[in-house]
Amino acid sequence: MTDHIDQDRPGRGDGAAGDAHRAKPTSSAFEIILPALGERPAFEVGEAVSVRDRSPIGHYRVPIYLRGHVGTVVRIIEPVLVDNEAEGYGRNAGSRLHYYRVAFPLTELWSRYEGAPGDELHVEIFETWLERAQ
Amino acid sequence: MATQDFVSRLPNDIGGFEAGSVARVEHVLEPWEKRCHALADVLDFKKIINTEEKRKGVEALGETLIGKLPYYERWIVAFANILFTKELLSPTELAEKMAEVEARFPVESGQGG
Amino acid sequence: MTSVHTDHHDHDHDHAAIEQVDRPGYYEVMETAIRELLIAKGLISAGDIRHQIEVLDSRSPALGAAVVARAWTDPDFKRRLLADGRKGCEELGISFYDDTQLIVLENTSEVHNLIVCTLCSCYPRPVLGLPPDWYKLKPYRARAVSEPRKVLAEFGTHLPDDVEIRVSDSTAAVRYLVLPLRPEGTDDWSPDELAAIVTRDAMIGVIPVTIGGEAA
Repeated sequence: MTDHIDQDRPGRGDGAAGDAHRAKPTSSAFEIILPALGERPAFEVGEAVSVRDRSPIGHYRVPIYLRGHVGTVVRIIEPVLVDNEAEGYGRNAGSRLHYYRVAFPLTELWSRYEGAPGDELHVEIFETWLERAQ
Repeated sequence: MATQDFVSRLPNDIGGFEAGSVARVEHVLEPWEKRCHALADVLDFKKIINTEEKRKGVEALGETLIGKLPYYERWIVAFANILFTKELLSPTELAEKMAEVEARFPVESGQGG
Repeated sequence: MTSVHTDHHDHDHDHAAIEQVDRPGYYEVMETAIRELLIAKGLISAGDIRHQIEVLDSRSPALGAAVVARAWTDPDFKRRLLADGRKGCEELGISFYDDTQLIVLENTSEVHNLIVCTLCSCYPRPVLGLPPDWYKLKPYRARAVSEPRKVLAEFGTHLPDDVEIRVSDSTAAVRYLVLPLRPEGTDDWSPDELAAIVTRDAMIGVIPVTIGGEAA
């Protein structure tokens, strides 16, 4: 929001031509910001999600005991990060997406759980491992 | 057990397994163990071997070796294998260097290397 | 490891075989060889390794204990710490050299937190230093997520069923630090006095902080 263009260019005070590269000091510039790919979380806090039941070989970071189970998103991890599974093959870049902290009742994870019914497990899971629960 | 379960479950994925009671063991790291940890951090910082590659390298040792080797022994063997794969070291080069390092210490009777 | 110079015996017969050499084992030789080769190739430097050893030595449970004591005595700090654990610790000068995030988990009269890494040995190293062996071994990693109350009992920690056990399994770039319950009878204690009773194991969540306790 600078108005110093004319000062920087002495002798070229033609306001009409200068408008094109002048930033407009209005709030509308903020209203039209669009998040880029991956910037907007795919899931919300409180949403029920299930862990995808796939079985990769070679390397993964979602333990088998979580696969296919339904939990609730309790926190969205910021900032977005790369998928640490992809880093296992020496790729140090890749798309950044959100990790979600997901809560599971321990009685949901272990059918023979012997603790108290309110006991829970919390874990961070990369976006591509989650889907909306039915 | 179907063989595919051996393939799709990594040897370190043990959450929920039956196991004995927790013995509260700990030890002060040997100097070489601390150097090994520092080496891991430096290799990750420089992205020569990132942390995830190290984890995958340990998993690649397989269940038997993971069960038999202590913690930093697993790390250093994993580093060797990864450095070979990346062609940053060769097996011959490492073998010769290890012989050179061993030769710095006088051999004594009754204790091999 | 046997040591040449630190092991002097009272009795008089020789231990020539023991006293002669401090011979490195196979894996130590491998570590030395790999490190020296990487340095010779210019991939890393000896200074890098030396510096990182000093970084590791500078991190211990005393840092976590100071964070906990500050949170117990400064409600505004505690709010910031619970909102963003890494930023809260960074306020106190603790850097996150391993580029991890930190979630601080508050124990209350209703919730008791416990941390584990089932897949490997993820641990809040910038704040607590390196983890104890038991944290990296199979019994703790295998059972903390499926029978946490039995595991806690093996540490002498027994909690009533109306206290929720909340186990956090580190699998991503997020690490955890447990903010234990402040023991009763410590209202007039200074932050330093409080930090002195906060143990490493209490910040992992396997035991409570007690007045008789001593910092690890």
